[in-house]
Amino acid sequence: MSKSLVTSIPIQELPLWEKRDMERGLFSFELELTARCTSDCRHCYIRLPADDAHARSLELQSDEIARIADEAVSLGSLWCLITGGEPLLRKDFPEIYSMLKRKGLLVSVFTNAQCITGEHVELFLKYPPRDIEITVYGVTRETYERVTRTPGSFDAFMRGLDRLMSAGIPARLKAMALRSNVSELPEIARFCRERTKDYFRFDPLLHLRFDRDPGRNEEIRSERLSPEEIAALDTADEKRAVALRSGCADLTQSGPPADANGNHLFRCGAGNGNFCVGYAGMFRLCSALCHPDCTADLRKQNLRDIRRTLVPKVRDMRSERKEYAEACGVCPLFNLCLWCPAHAHLETGQLDGSVPYFCEIAKARANALKIEN
Amino acid sequence: MDPSNTLDSAFAPSENVVAREIEGEIIIVPLVAGMGDTDDELFTLNETGRAIWQKLDGRRSLRQVIEELATEYEAAEGEIEADVIGIIEELSRRKMVSPK
Repeated sequence: MSKSLVTSIPIQELPLWEKRDMERGLFSFELELTARCTSDCRHCYIRLPADDAHARSLELQSDEIARIADEAVSLGSLWCLITGGEPLLRKDFPEIYSMLKRKGLLVSVFTNAQCITGEHVELFLKYPPRDIEITVYGVTRETYERVTRTPGSFDAFMRGLDRLMSAGIPARLKAMALRSNVSELPEIARFCRERTKDYFRFDPLLHLRFDRDPGRNEEIRSERLSPEEIAALDTADEKRAVALRSGCADLTQSGPPADANGNHLFRCGAGNGNFCVGYAGMFRLCSALCHPDCTADLRKQNLRDIRRTLVPKVRDMRSERKEYAEACGVCPLFNLCLWCPAHAHLETGQLDGSVPYFCEIAKARANALKIEN
Repeated sequence: MDPSNTLDSAFAPSENVVAREIEGEIIIVPLVAGMGDTDDELFTLNETGRAIWQKLDGRRSLRQVIEELATEYEAAEGEIEADVIGIIEELSRRKMVSPK
């Protein structure tokens, strides 16, 4: 018998990941506990009011979540991201979080920190999360609440963040870059880096709402930065620029997509090793893929069947439009763009619709990063 | 840890860990902080570790575990005993198992 019986391994070095990549097993899922939120952010793709009784009535109950999690665990899932809306709005959050942990899942939480109570702090101390990510909308009350449109939200955010930090619970801070806070982005970055030294990221790419609400979508469009502004932000951040160049090089050097006709829609990994559970039990291959041909109801179907039947069907979807096969389907700047079938559907109603704004972003980035088109 | 006393004890996994079998590997997921050298670690068991772990049910004494493994693996009890004591010491130090 050999001597090395127990091996401790950093999570990111588990040999499991490599196996999963090759065999395309399940390894993670995203769980939207609610679409309701304490804030009313201008750019939000999902938010419904905190007191929306109809939305609340549709939310998965903890026993339904337990059943879905059991299935995900039985299929090998190791990681669960709890998100929303604002997941801590749910009064049963501690129960759901503990239940997921006790199933042997690594659990991450995305939150705005505004609802963090002493009870949450105790919970996270007892059962540490894999990580907690908090979005910082601004570092002044004026900017933060310009984005959230919720008086008192800045103080609630600072109070929640302080509760976590002073208890020694590590939280990663991140930002969205939008019209209402871009002037404060350097200060936001400094604030975040002071508190989480090894980690800060911001996202300037705003996608439209899952419910396709036209009024809210107009608000999101009005918050979008211009392609030139986005490219300037990318190049001002050396690490980010290197990552973007590298991501694009990986794609351009790997030659044309597997389907030489260029009509294959899904060039991403959606649904391969992961999936998303919407707050009302909708199975999605990724969080943004809401097209009715690509979703299933986890209240009516089991996860194993959905993964066996729906996922391969969706992943094999093709476009019949020549324009797609000649443009997005073969574009070497794919990694610099927000285009994907999910976002195309949110923008145009079609999985293969083209989105000129995304094209302009990719070209501006390629130009700024000196990537051959 | 005194091996002579330990061998008569039965051990069981702590309530603070969950053992998962994924892709043929046993992965021990800590539920609480402080089990790993960092909080960013999981634990895997090799084939021997896995065979021992699966017998830690809180009822069998370690002596019984050793006898069963010696039969199943057709190995000398002394060799198995060293492995069993080794893994129990490691897992006890990390509070992943405890005597019942």
